[in-house]
Parts: sequence; structure tokens; C-alpha cells
Amino acid sequence: MNKTLLEVKNLKLYFRTSKGPVQAVDDVSFKLNRGKTLAVVGESGCGKTSLAKAVLRLLPRNIMVYSGEIILDGEDIMQYNEEQFRRDIRWKKIAMVPQAAMNSLNPVLRIVDQIIEPLLIHDRDMIKDKALARVKEMFKIVGLPEDFLYRYPFELSGGMRQRATIAMALATNPELVILDEPSSALDLLTQANLMNVLKRIKHDFGTTFILITHDIGTASELADEIAVMYAGEMVEKCHAEYFYTDARHPYSRKLMSSVPTLREDKELVFIPGQPPSLVNPPIGCRFAERCEQRFAKCSEHPPTFDLEHDQQVQCWLYTAGEEVKHA
Amino acid sequence: MPDLAVEMQETLQEEERVPVLKAVNLHTWFEIRKFGFFKAGDVRALDGVDFELYQGETVSIVGESGCGKSTLARTILGLHRPTKGKLFFNGKDMAEFKKEDMKAYRASVGYIQQDPYGALPPFMTVKRILEEPLIINGVKDKFERQKRIRNVMEEVKLAPIEDFLPKFPHMLSGGQQQRLVIARAMILQPKMLVADEPVSMLDASVRVEILQLLRSLQEKHNLVIIYITHDLSTVRYFSERIFTMYGARIVEKATTKALLSDPLHPYTQALFKATSDPDAANLKAYKEVPAGEPPSLLNPPKGCRFYPRCAKIIKGKCDHFEPPEFHIGDDQSVFCWLYEDQGKQ
Repeated sequence: MNKTLLEVKNLKLYFRTSKGPVQAVDDVSFKLNRGKTLAVVGESGCGKTSLAKAVLRLLPRNIMVYSGEIILDGEDIMQYNEEQFRRDIRWKKIAMVPQAAMNSLNPVLRIVDQIIEPLLIHDRDMIKDKALARVKEMFKIVGLPEDFLYRYPFELSGGMRQRATIAMALATNPELVILDEPSSALDLLTQANLMNVLKRIKHDFGTTFILITHDIGTASELADEIAVMYAGEMVEKCHAEYFYTDARHPYSRKLMSSVPTLREDKELVFIPGQPPSLVNPPIGCRFAERCEQRFAKCSEHPPTFDLEHDQQVQCWLYTAGEEVKHA
Repeated sequence: MPDLAVEMQETLQEEERVPVLKAVNLHTWFEIRKFGFFKAGDVRALDGVDFELYQGETVSIVGESGCGKSTLARTILGLHRPTKGKLFFNGKDMAEFKKEDMKAYRASVGYIQQDPYGALPPFMTVKRILEEPLIINGVKDKFERQKRIRNVMEEVKLAPIEDFLPKFPHMLSGGQQQRLVIARAMILQPKMLVADEPVSMLDASVRVEILQLLRSLQEKHNLVIIYITHDLSTVRYFSERIFTMYGARIVEKATTKALLSDPLHPYTQALFKATSDPDAANLKAYKEVPAGEPPSLLNPPKGCRFYPRCAKIIKGKCDHFEPPEFHIGDDQSVFCWLYEDQGKQ
């Protein structure tokens, strides 16, 4: 078995709009090892969800550019045609829990009919009883009572519905699960409960997750690695243990210092200004306009520099592999 | 003569001690009807809340959804009439307010909504949004209105002012929209602001900016701010006091400092443990979460509202008798039987 489960190379996703192409995902590359969790963090509109949708090829009609390589288990799934992708990848190898998943259940179908569907569609030999047994098993794992299967979505609370959608994503035993803001619409205690469930799944089954969130606090519950996105680009990626204390990119640092903490009293700072428009982003570094450490070189587009601890940063400050102080 | 000065000083102090807002045994219940006619019961959204707020105080109300914190806000704003209990504003009973009194009261209480885009009328320009409260409250002079709009926009840092005046809400970013909502709440120079989750829809970096803005307005105008939130971690940066609510009641009142160093009520402790700070150590441990769900407010449990989920339950006591308020030290009070011996009632 390959140690690397997913490798994304130079992934681009541009949308066509009346104002011009929107560069939602621009030249993003990363690797994700089996059984690990990558948290993608960033402000709203930075392309986190577009990245997830690009990986799963859930695209709207107004696509202008969709290119790059997505290598899953050694195979470039970008080469697959639509039918092949639907049959072999979507929900079979990669599943997704969409944003506000609790509202994504069909209100007029019982939970069981919805959850069982991917199992029956993706496996022709699957008989209904076997599928039902599998779904019941999934319900036990996410911590829902079995009889809830026969209820309608409105009879469940938000946290329970969220867990049902997670059960649905896991039912086909996919290798990679993309979670898009799984906990942001939930209450604090429900959220903590859900993170416990996800953590248990991760430990017991070795499922690989991509966790998309803007809440770095909750991300730290699950993430082995953190990727920071800004204006469609991945500006930094590193191991979680280094990120919280030793983020490198000026944007990541600002982002970390804007996170309020409960246990530690620190001065909060905010990032003045706004992210650039993705229709006509700056040619150079996209963060330069808001960056306190910018210098002449920032008007050119920075490449990705590899630093120690397997840390990757897209910033000119690290040209020599070490942070350079510019006056 | 000096006697008079002393007397005046005393009356002044006396006046200062009158709370801006005082709630006594406040209840807000919503009736449920069957077939639109038969009474089927009451949803006790707010069930016996007492507190006093003084000039210049900021207080955070923390709790999960459905605990009654928004109902409390709306009752304070006069949008719901309390079913039982009384609400006093500057010592005057709000139940006896006449129409003009209510109008004056509404002018002196600003409301900051959770979702800025939903709170702003989409077909009105910034200028019109800010001008309307002034027109309604009888500021007839056009130049006076313009001056006040400019002042308030400067205060919330919506600059350059000329650029913003003709814009519609959809042309503004989330942070700017929330500033506009704050400007609208501030334009009548209120004494009190009720902020219902003002930053929960915003990005982390903007969140801090808005909280700091509210804080600076509070200091400058010596406002009372009631900050309603479900996020314990922002509370430290904002308020002096915290009320924790659970099941339509306040379960703990404390100064922020006391609460953050030592939460007393088992529910507050649970909230505390469930909040994650960015830390790599989180990866290795599971969280302690009390089992179950918040109680139904249609038929709340007898005794303490939290007992069905509480790990420290005293059998025979918590499930039968409602806990009274126990004061622990000067800064903290808790509604929990565990503190019966330590605190004074």
C-alpha cells in the first residue's frame, strides 16, 4: 500500500463570470498520507470549499479552467471520464460531508432510505439486508440509536442529523472523507461530541480526512497537518504541532493571533484591509497589500519554499530556507 | 452651604446606585395551542431570571441555543411582554410604560443583530438606513441629521464617509455591514446596547475588529452592553461579568476573571472543557461531554434543570428541589446544591 493516499499537483479551478474569470483555486499542490487529517483553514471566500469540490469533481456549469493532477492511490483521477469517476471514485473512494450537512438531508425521505442509497448504487451485488446491517453498524459508530434510522430528518436534532450525514459518508467505507465545516452550525457541547466521534473513527478505522474549517480551535482536535489558504492559494502547509506556536507565513501568524483563546490571555490583533478580488488578483504576492513585512520582492509571485519540519511556505521572506529580516 | 453640597453628593451617589436595568423574577412563556383554540401548554423560554445592571457595565450571557438567551434579549428590548415578573429601567417599572415612554425607551436601547445582512433593508442606502431612526424620533433639522450621521460613521470607522453614503448593504463586506448595524444602533445615542451574537457570522480576523470597536464605544459613552454569545473564548476580551444560562434560567453569575479561573456550576465547567484552544495536545485526548440534550422547555425537569446530565448529582436533592442562589465570595454566585455548605444564600 502506498503511504501517500492523495497527491494534488498544480490544481486550478477558475469560474467564468460576467466580470471575468474567478480564480477560486489557483495552483494548489499538496500531499496527504494515509490515516492523517489535513485541516484547510482560511477566511471565507479563500477557496477552501472550491478546493474540496475540485477534488471530488462536483463542479458547477460555469467552469473555465479545471486542470492539474489529482493522484489518488497512485492513479491520476483527473484522467477518468465522468462515468468512471462517478462509478469508481465518488462516494466509493472519496466521500464528502457538505457544509450545513444537517440541512442537506431530504426532508420527505426517512433517514434509512437516504443512507442506504450510496451502498445500493455503488455495489450491484449488495442486497438490501446486508446494506441495512452495514448502516446499523455505522449508526452505532457515530453514536445514534438504531431506531432513529426509521425517523424523518425533522425528528432529529441538529447534532444528530450531522452525525447521520457522517454515517452516510462512511457507509461505503471510503478512503478519504472531506468534511466541509462539519461543526460550525452546532452548539458547543454538540460540537465537542462530534469531534469525539470523528476522532474515534480516525483512530479505529484509519480514515483519512480533509477538514475544511475557519475555526482553528476545533481544527486542532483532529488535524495532523494544517494548510492555510488565502485568496485561492495555499500559502502555508505544516505539521499541526508547529503551526500553533510557530506559523511562518505572515498571514498565518496574523490569523493565529486573531484567534481568541479561553485559557490564555493574549492581545488580539486583527488584519486590516480585505482579501483581494479573485477576479483580478495582484500579480505578486496576494497578501502583500495587507502585510507588514512586505518588501520590494513581494511584487513578484513567490514560489513555495521548503523549510525544516516538512513545512512549506509561499513567501519571499524564506528564500534562503530561513526567515530573512528586511528593514 | 457645605451641608447642601454634601447632601447633593449623597443624592448623586444614591442616583448612581439605581441600576439601569433590573429584572425581578422575569418569566417569558409562549403559549402553545392545539387546533388554534385549546391551550396545550407553555414553552417556558425564560423562567425566573433576576439581575441588576449598572451604568457602564458590560455583561456577557453565555449558553447554548434554546437556553433562552435570545428571548431574554428580546424581552429586554420590549419585543416580548414578560408573562410574570418585572423589568425596571432606571428604577421605573416597564409594565407601566405608556406609549411615549416606550418610544423613549426604545430610543435609548440599541440592538445589534446576529446576521448583519438580514438585519439591513436591502433597498435602502446607508444614508437612508441611518437617517430613518432620526426622522422617526423627531430630529427635524436636516443639517443636524447629516451631522449626526457623519459623527456616528466616523465612530464606527466607515470611512471615507462620502463613498459609503450612497451604497446599498449588498455592496458592503460582512465586517462593514456589521459596522453599519452598530452605527444604526448608536445613532440615537443610547444608554444601553443589546448585542445578540454580533460576531458569530464573521471571520476570525474581522471578529476581533468588531469586538474592539464595541469595546471602545462602550468606554467612550459609558454604555451598558449586554453581549449574548455561545462562544466562551470571546468573552474574556469583552465583558466584566458573565451570566451562564441553561434551560431558561441563569445558573451562574460571576465576574469574568472569577469565572475563567474557576467555573463553579457543572454546566459552566462542561462548556469550559468543550471549548478548544488551538493546541497540538488536543489531538491526543477525548473531550468530556455530558450525555443527553438540553431539557424540553415545555415540560422542564423538576428540581435543577441540569440534573439529568449532571455527573455530580446529589440523588434525592437535585432531582426534587430547585437550587437557590449561593454566593461564593464577592464575585461569584451559583445556582447549584453542591455549594450549599460553602456559600451563603
